[in-house]
Amino acid sequence: MQLVDIHHVSRSYGKFQALRDVSLSLDLGTIGLVGNNGAGKSTLLKILLGLLAPDTGGGTILGCDIRHSTSDLRGRIGYMPEAAAVVPVLKGVEFVTLAGDLYGMPHRDARRRAHEVLSYVGLGELRYRRLEEYSAGNVQRLKLAAALVHDPQLLLLDEPTNGLDPAGRIGMLRLLEDLIAETGKSVILCTHLLGDVERLCDQIVVLHQGTVLRSGTMAELRHSIAGRFELQWQGGDPTGLPAALVKEGCEVKLLGDGKAQISAPRDWHTTRFFELARAADSTLTLLRPEQEDLARMFFRVTDQAPSAGVAADPRAASASTAEGGT
Amino acid sequence: MGIDNVRYHGWEGELRTPWVACAAIIRVAMLQVFRRKSYWVVIGLGLLNFLLFWSIIYAVTQFDIPRDDQDKLLGAFGFSSEASGGQENGYIMFMQRQSIIVMILLAFSGSLLVGADFRFNSLPFYLSRRIDRRHYIVGKLLAVGTLVSLLTTVPALLLFLEYGMFTSSLDYWRDNWQTPVAVIAYGLVMSTVLSVLLVTLSAYLQKMAPIAITWSSLFVMLSTMSGQLSRRAADRNWHLLDPWRDIRYVGKLCFYAGKRLAGEVSQGANAYYGIFANDDEFRRSLWALLILVSVCTVAIVALVRRVRAVEIVN
Repeated sequence: MQLVDIHHVSRSYGKFQALRDVSLSLDLGTIGLVGNNGAGKSTLLKILLGLLAPDTGGGTILGCDIRHSTSDLRGRIGYMPEAAAVVPVLKGVEFVTLAGDLYGMPHRDARRRAHEVLSYVGLGELRYRRLEEYSAGNVQRLKLAAALVHDPQLLLLDEPTNGLDPAGRIGMLRLLEDLIAETGKSVILCTHLLGDVERLCDQIVVLHQGTVLRSGTMAELRHSIAGRFELQWQGGDPTGLPAALVKEGCEVKLLGDGKAQISAPRDWHTTRFFELARAADSTLTLLRPEQEDLARMFFRVTDQAPSAGVAADPRAASASTAEGGT
Repeated sequence: MGIDNVRYHGWEGELRTPWVACAAIIRVAMLQVFRRKSYWVVIGLGLLNFLLFWSIIYAVTQFDIPRDDQDKLLGAFGFSSEASGGQENGYIMFMQRQSIIVMILLAFSGSLLVGADFRFNSLPFYLSRRIDRRHYIVGKLLAVGTLVSLLTTVPALLLFLEYGMFTSSLDYWRDNWQTPVAVIAYGLVMSTVLSVLLVTLSAYLQKMAPIAITWSSLFVMLSTMSGQLSRRAADRNWHLLDPWRDIRYVGKLCFYAGKRLAGEVSQGANAYYGIFANDDEFRRSLWALLILVSVCTVAIVALVRRVRAVEIVN
């Protein structure tokens, strides 16, 4: 069974087209959903959650029709909202039990599960405290527990590390890593923090202005950005090899100590490095395709400057997440 | 903080219809209200009023009080010494008194029960589960309605039980079977109107002070205004401006319908079994019913629009 299989989905709000002709086919696993503000992430999330029907197109999520099986669909998904979304006066265990009740679990099962998942997310000792006494980090864990209470097949996490201090963020990521490794649950992670996506996800969907720019595994996307190399050499004239590379159409950035960063032209074959090194009486000691990090790849594919709203740095992201989405 | 040394366990079971979630919403609302110590002051007042009526019925039925004094005592609380009839006004009076306490309680609890869902973004928590907006709205209306019933209908039914227990027992219950039906109907009217108005008001105003001010304006200011207008214009129809009185009028209709349902015959001056003073009052009751239905319809439309405006995914 595929996790997401939607075809030609479009959705507009009045004259504004939030999603246009989106087709996605995603396997079970952990998926990062990234895009600038206004890219259509929220609209896609609403459709994935069965909260919004598309204007055109259709498909299935976890085998449920996105137009007709919305209640069943939400029974299979655990959603962790970005907002604090807690109910005042309740205690932790009551809050998670309420989540189970709202999913339609028998009350006794919901209560038992609430104790289990609270212990699992590390709130076992705090479960009888009122929600007002929870720290931001614990509220995030609590929301995760509420999303897990009915043992969903898919977890939809909206900014799970938002507003957390560095220690809290690392703790949350570690918890999610363990959860994914232990349960094998599918996760769709929607965040502005590309570092989180890089750490947790094996697939990625890049949305831009309502369309899917890229989707695939990290390895696939990284493969497609090849053409940049890190080079190190010994012997010969130190400027000989760089000069020969420039002559061949490469962009060369010298890093010192016989090292350089190379941007090769299209159709470049790596054996050419060896030929040029031999011609310059040099020996190559390192030839490594440069691995772009997700942030760099994102900015390249969206053709935007790093200040456009998505941040590789969590501190920068906390500012950008304050803005609304579509 | 690390993860507790426990493993993840799955859950296997059937999810039930989302409508059962309404029961959870009611339970949580009760928890929220009864956990606040300050609300117990108001609830205590309700209990005191209940005990007062309870004691009066107990005293009259258990102690040897002269008939005239008995009539006076019971009459002061709307009851009659005739156990087989004339009790309706007593229950109406009791529920009306309790409703004052309910008004105060609702004025303060609206922000907690409903306003907080909008103010602190709790609504996405509810609506991202299996329930949708219909279940949420019905759940919240039932929650407020339950609170109203706990303070009005339930104690009124207990008084009915008490009256029967301490007088002629089965005879009283058998002769007045329509009374609990009317009490429940009146309670339903009160619960419905108050819950619709409170939930809508709280969804828009959200904070306690504006809700309490608007709520009291609605029920105190309009009541005073309608009284003044009625006196100056010498026209009792101005009383229809007062929602509180409208609820009572419809309550009387419920008791009247109960009597009619029981097949009791009432003729001449007592054409309304002593429930309505005259034809005018009866007609006003019908207008009151129309007004309440209209107001509730508008309020529900406004509530649905407000809930629909909330984004679940930001």
